[in-house]
Amino acid sequence: MRHAFDIAGTETEVWLERARDGYRLGGDAGRALVALLHRGGNTLLSLDGGEEPVHLVLDGELIHLHVAGGHYTLRHLDPARRFADAEAGGGADAARAPMPGTVVRVDVAVGDHVATGDPLVVIESMKLETTIRAWHDGTVSAVHVTAGQSFERDAVLVTLAAEA
Amino acid sequence: MSALPFDTLLVANRGEIALRIIRTARRMGLRTVVAAHGADRGAPALDAADAVAWIEGATGVAAYLDSAQIIAAARRHGAGAIHPGYGFLSENATFARAVAAAGLVFVGPTPEAIDLMGDKIRARSFVADRGFPVAPSATEDEDPGTFLDRARALGGPLLVKPSAGGGGKGMRIVRDMALLEQEVAQARSEGQRYFGDGRLYVERFVEQPRHIEVQVMGDAHGTVVHLGERECSVQRRFQKIVEETPSPVLTFEERQRICETAAGIARAAGYRNAGTVEFIYGRGDFYFLEMNTRLQVEHPVTEMVTGTDLVEMQIRVAAGESLGVSQADIRHEGHAIELRVYAESAARGFTPTTGRVLALRQPGGEGVRFDQGVAEGQRITTAFDPMLAKLVVHGPDRATAIARARRALANTVLLGCETNIAFLDRLLAHPAFAAGEVHTGWLDAEPALAAEPVPSAAIRLKLAAIAALATRAIRDDADAVPALHAAIGAWRN
Repeated sequence: MRHAFDIAGTETEVWLERARDGYRLGGDAGRALVALLHRGGNTLLSLDGGEEPVHLVLDGELIHLHVAGGHYTLRHLDPARRFADAEAGGGADAARAPMPGTVVRVDVAVGDHVATGDPLVVIESMKLETTIRAWHDGTVSAVHVTAGQSFERDAVLVTLAAEA
Repeated sequence: MSALPFDTLLVANRGEIALRIIRTARRMGLRTVVAAHGADRGAPALDAADAVAWIEGATGVAAYLDSAQIIAAARRHGAGAIHPGYGFLSENATFARAVAAAGLVFVGPTPEAIDLMGDKIRARSFVADRGFPVAPSATEDEDPGTFLDRARALGGPLLVKPSAGGGGKGMRIVRDMALLEQEVAQARSEGQRYFGDGRLYVERFVEQPRHIEVQVMGDAHGTVVHLGERECSVQRRFQKIVEETPSPVLTFEERQRICETAAGIARAAGYRNAGTVEFIYGRGDFYFLEMNTRLQVEHPVTEMVTGTDLVEMQIRVAAGESLGVSQADIRHEGHAIELRVYAESAARGFTPTTGRVLALRQPGGEGVRFDQGVAEGQRITTAFDPMLAKLVVHGPDRATAIARARRALANTVLLGCETNIAFLDRLLAHPAFAAGEVHTGWLDAEPALAAEPVPSAAIRLKLAAIAALATRAIRDDADAVPALHAAIGAWRN
């Protein structure tokens, strides 16, 4: 079974082989002799003889970690699921929330004809009002939010269909 | 110091400031009660307080703004005084009056001072009438029909603000006068929504301005002192990220002038308790911006260089004690910097992030203070302000303070929610910051700072190693191989 992680936006394949005092790391990031050591309540990364403290938490497919003074979140990529995501995301003609926030106002209803630049929804996040405008001429095929509703980043707000 | 006229303090706030107030109150021998909405379950202030007064509301924010509920909670828990912290009810004169009417002590200024300074237009004319410097401006109230013409006559660039505003909400810079009418309409809509008041005023915008403010403290016996300035020029969207004292830009004479001006304004207003007079500074000139009639988020930098506890001073002054210090008693030693740790993504335009605090380790070391607002296990949502904690460092000089701050940032561990910690470090490492050459538009002019750099090959190797070692399926695959070799070996023999 091949394993890959999303490391800072790059798909990185990794594998381990058993070595005398730990493992031999192989893959896209390079090769090294590695081990995680647990000493006095702390976790240390041993890499080619060097040791340094690591803090890490596993959260489903995510690994949150702190090493060398920096914070990182890595995602374990499951090949089967990645393929499904790509299929579902293809071609959706929708406005997604650029940040989590609240809907201030909805200016359109399903079936409305809109021209490029027409206001669709006004959202607010951390003191900042943003108007989501029509990105092409067309018909509103779905409005996914109502005024006062809060949403997470990437939530679908409005879906357009091209003018028939 | 006499005994206080109350033995229990209710803290009407949340997050780091609730915990910070509780710490001082406990040290003073007070019993503490913290008002808390269910959304804040698990917050560190709730553990630290002697009692929690649960408050309800459609949203968390609504609960913390519900003055009747908070006053009732104070009575129910036998509190004799209420500390409002910052934000929420801290600058609400109606609340201050209601607290007094309920026979409780409001830890803050008089309702009259809150009213005066809360109305930005009245505050400005109060200050101008007494001969203190203000920026050229036009107010809508004066004559709504000619507001736009008068605004245009000031000459651009202009800053449009809701007159009831604060905290940067609804503020807009207009450089192209053709857009003035449109920007005014948007600012009015935001002012109406945030403050229930759509009145506006506009003032000349000082290009590359620096935000310098002065901490003042007054008592009920006519004494007003200042505790020096703070520079808060590093801002995003008009909100402060880094604050420091002393300001790296002021000369000795300028510092004296700006601090004396602030104390003079507070004296003229008969000001009591903690307050901050904010100025805009550019090329040797400074103008009064506004006065905040509360404790500021960034007050710890002042505490670190002066060795004072501003919350203790607030509580004693509110109890009627005299300040007990004169201007000459206030000494400033070294340099202090505060960094606001936010749940936000600098690379995505400083938008808020969400998650759960899965691990938290505070930095330590000489001159390091960490005012914590969240605890392990707590959910980070967009229901409240995204500030998670404040890292405050003190050193004998600015360069040492910056170096200590960078080490402390590297030793702060907060897993489970993306934060601005790496961005703060890039900011401190920037030559313009080191040289003290910043202004309130600096971050906008340096968009490269916000971008997340690609990790080096050495870091990628470490990340790949940790990912592989922490993933059971990968270890199991590796561990299976030597076992198989061993079995084959045995069979062959």
